[in-house]
Amino acid sequence: MVETGHFALVLAFALSLVQMLVPLVGARAGNQRLMAVGGPVAVTGFALTALSFTALATAYAGSDFSVASVWENSHSLQPLIYKITGTWGNHEGSMLLWVLILTFFGALVAVFGNNLPATLKANVLAVQGMIGAAFFLFILATSNPFIRLNPAPIEGRDLNPILQDLGLAVHPPLLYLGYVGFSICFSFSVAALIEGRIDASWARWVRPWTLVAWMFLTGGIAMGSYWAYYELGWGGFWFWDPVENASFMPWLAGTALLHSAIVMEKRSALKIWTLLLAILTFSLSLLGTFLVRSGVLTSVHAFATDPARGVFILCILTLFIGGSLTLFALRASRLTAGGLFHPISREGALVLNNLFLTTATATVLVGTLYPLALEAITGGKISVGAPFFDLTFGPLMLPLLAIVPFGPLLAWKRGDVLAASQRLMAAFALALAAMLVTGLFIDGASVFAALGVGLAVWLVAGALTDLAVKSGVGSVAPTVMLRRFAGLPRSVFGTTLAHLGLGLTLLGIVGTLSFGTEKILTMRPGETVELSGHTLRFEGLYPQKGPNFTEDRGRFLLISEGNADGEITSAKRFYPVRQTVTTESGIRTLGLSQLYLSLGDAGNDGSVVVRLWWKPLVTLIWGGGLVMMAGAAMSLADRRLRVGAPSRRRKPAAAAVSASPT
Amino acid sequence: MLFWVIAAILTLGASLAVLLPLAGGTKGASAAGDHDLEVYRDQLSELDRDMARGLIQPGEAEEARAEIGRRILRLGSDGQASTRAPRPSRTARLVATAAVLAVPLVSWGLYGALGSPDLPSQPLAERLAKNPADSSVDELVARAEAHLAANPSDGKGWDVLAPIYLRLQRYTDAVTAYRNAIRLDGDSAVRQAGLGEAIANAAGGIVSADAQAAFEAALKLDPANAKANFYLAMGLAQEGKKAEAAAAWQKMLGQLAPDSPWRSAVQQALAETAEPPAAAGKPANGPDAQAVEAAQQMSPQDRQAMIETMVAGLDDRLKQNPRDEEGWMRLIRSYVVLGKADQARDALGRAVAVFGADSEQARKFTAFAASLGVTATE
Repeated sequence: MVETGHFALVLAFALSLVQMLVPLVGARAGNQRLMAVGGPVAVTGFALTALSFTALATAYAGSDFSVASVWENSHSLQPLIYKITGTWGNHEGSMLLWVLILTFFGALVAVFGNNLPATLKANVLAVQGMIGAAFFLFILATSNPFIRLNPAPIEGRDLNPILQDLGLAVHPPLLYLGYVGFSICFSFSVAALIEGRIDASWARWVRPWTLVAWMFLTGGIAMGSYWAYYELGWGGFWFWDPVENASFMPWLAGTALLHSAIVMEKRSALKIWTLLLAILTFSLSLLGTFLVRSGVLTSVHAFATDPARGVFILCILTLFIGGSLTLFALRASRLTAGGLFHPISREGALVLNNLFLTTATATVLVGTLYPLALEAITGGKISVGAPFFDLTFGPLMLPLLAIVPFGPLLAWKRGDVLAASQRLMAAFALALAAMLVTGLFIDGASVFAALGVGLAVWLVAGALTDLAVKSGVGSVAPTVMLRRFAGLPRSVFGTTLAHLGLGLTLLGIVGTLSFGTEKILTMRPGETVELSGHTLRFEGLYPQKGPNFTEDRGRFLLISEGNADGEITSAKRFYPVRQTVTTESGIRTLGLSQLYLSLGDAGNDGSVVVRLWWKPLVTLIWGGGLVMMAGAAMSLADRRLRVGAPSRRRKPAAAAVSASPT
Repeated sequence: MLFWVIAAILTLGASLAVLLPLAGGTKGASAAGDHDLEVYRDQLSELDRDMARGLIQPGEAEEARAEIGRRILRLGSDGQASTRAPRPSRTARLVATAAVLAVPLVSWGLYGALGSPDLPSQPLAERLAKNPADSSVDELVARAEAHLAANPSDGKGWDVLAPIYLRLQRYTDAVTAYRNAIRLDGDSAVRQAGLGEAIANAAGGIVSADAQAAFEAALKLDPANAKANFYLAMGLAQEGKKAEAAAAWQKMLGQLAPDSPWRSAVQQALAETAEPPAAAGKPANGPDAQAVEAAQQMSPQDRQAMIETMVAGLDDRLKQNPRDEEGWMRLIRSYVVLGKADQARDALGRAVAVFGADSEQARKFTAFAASLGVTATE
């Protein structure tokens, strides 16, 4: 089974070589047969990669220590779920997951792309094939997960205990679906550049892909943030860690792409800009992969340190980013620009959004790469952390967030700011009220907190205003209003949900940062501590044994108004195989807020250091992310119902062929 | 064999994915212009919908309609220019041939360089369930561990495993195993001495207070226990009481049987105390420190070879000095551990023959071998 997986991987590489060359030649020569090779090869390549991945996962699940990667990253005593998720909890396996998703998306284009112009489809698949070939080669040459050991060791070295968590089952797959999803947008852009023309259907195709990728990336980042929050035991949800930034940059650029693709789809404007953004977004995804996988960073995530790999990925990076940008420079002038619009219009608002988002991406890029560049040149190590990003990223985001509610209320081509402002009066009043209440009535609220809460309420109320205006609240009879509401396109709900989610996330961040409290103290069994109106009694430390760890579990009784209100436990775990100690934080969700505690070192007399946090509204940070995802899903659902969308396109397209004798 | 069949089928499938589209006829493919027209029509109808919802002003909508109209017109002129008949070319045929050939050549070539086709999958559960005679030392130990995890009160099991741990240099595990054996099956000089050795080796050869206590307990049960005497003297030497250590070793030499394996160890220790700095902590009847260190850096194959050489050496020594009870038991155990059931049985037969079939030692050997899963050949 293991060797079958290895062989399937090699075969998939061979197919990716065919996929990158044959359709490309076919498209240039206008040869239908050569172009037709792309589809079946992409689908078969995916099937083989899936077989390969299954073989590796089986080896992990069955603790087959004759596979070097299993031996290095697994242990027979791990619970089955962590044995399986351990498949991608290491460099080799995660790269295999990467190409699995890449070939999966390629296969989707092949299967659902029948309504694409043949040459465009051929070129897109060829570019996908190039990316695939590069990464297959990378895997086979430097990170082969199927290297065998003979004789096989009897026991593995265990998975990094921090990764022995359900987060590993969710976070990397989501993140990769996001990263790699943008590869399709990239392939479409490069294909358009190769052809020297942008088909009208181009934007129709790129937009849903952007939505899919953006949705997964949003989920991946939110999930990663929550994982770090509860697993690392520091109580923080975002550290401006380079690895986090690596996933955040494609998200910012992808958000810009999402918005510019709307303009392109609806108005055929901003074509060249959208193309460039698609290239940049995927380039940032590649950069993210490089930063994490090459080991140039030393952080929580950096579990790969092999210079050969780093150089290889750097070559891939240079080849794809440099190549696509060169192509862009050569061909962009040949592309025709599209529709016209006034500066104050929906299009104009989206351009402004793009301007802010790309600038923000640039600041994050500088903050992430500057320390690396400095270290490479002078050897000095500096860390660029929260203060830098607060001063650069923050001021860029504030105006952007302030104008978000205006966008959806402006008309296409020529908008009326005054009319939009009037409609937003209620939302503005609400935001102002929230700001005043926060500033005046909550103890210890700073100006920042008041402004932040006001801005968050402004976003939420603004998003809802859009929905209200479009369904005609206040201007038509309630029955008409309901009918209109039900008849709104799904994409309108998508926009509302996404912007609403943004507001919720902001509210969560402001709430936690401004009103959160923290205590660090040494507790003995029986002692109580109070934090923001919650009383906790330390019951004691209890030793326990897990499948592959031992732990000292600290039990705390939550006391509300004199009555016991359940237990919170936090543990210090010791994993003997890796000789690693991890902290399992204890979290109790009360409404939207959380009580968070984690254990420090224990003393000899039964006392233990306890860190306690009260985190008001903290769940909104990730809840907002989920709402954003729901918005993207809603928009996607909309696409399928329209003429011109992939699944319904086939018949109308055929009809169009027979009806138009061009 | 099965693997090659699967590999061939996979290659065939992949080649067909390339071959079939190349061999197939060209379907009535639509020109790019038709797709564009479809999109433009959709944009027009969407414009009407947007206007009905007030998302665009009527004037601007008219402008947009005109823009789309112009694009449709432009499409008409472009479309005619770009229609071209597919012309089969030599290059195309060349590319097609290369592609079909590339799939089997690249995959089999690369796999030949990278793969290990002869190595079967080895899921742990399967490895632990197969015939013990085919198992490696590690597998046998893992199996014993699994057995003991399920039956932690099997004193005999711990007793068997403990010296194997010692030999595999898993000293902390050996300590646990000896302690369990003593707790469950009672004290014995051999066990206490083994415990002391394990503790000392776990501490890098230093005879600590714990180790000393174990050796003293062993001597209480069997004052002549060579291992305990040897290590206690070693402890003295480590404390700097070289003269006392030397005296103890000298006394040992006097009491040891002439063919005792400890003799050479004691002589070596005496020589080393005489010329400082003395090497501390040397397992006497095991491989010397250098060999142990070397073994740790060896590849698994080499280590296996070294163990086999050592076992063969023991076998030879026993042929010359056959009346060594402990030696025989160690030899039988070693063969079992190495997975050589036949030779273990052979050793058992020879051991019984040396002491006579009715002797107490023979019964002991048979019981010992049975506990390891070896039965004498009739």
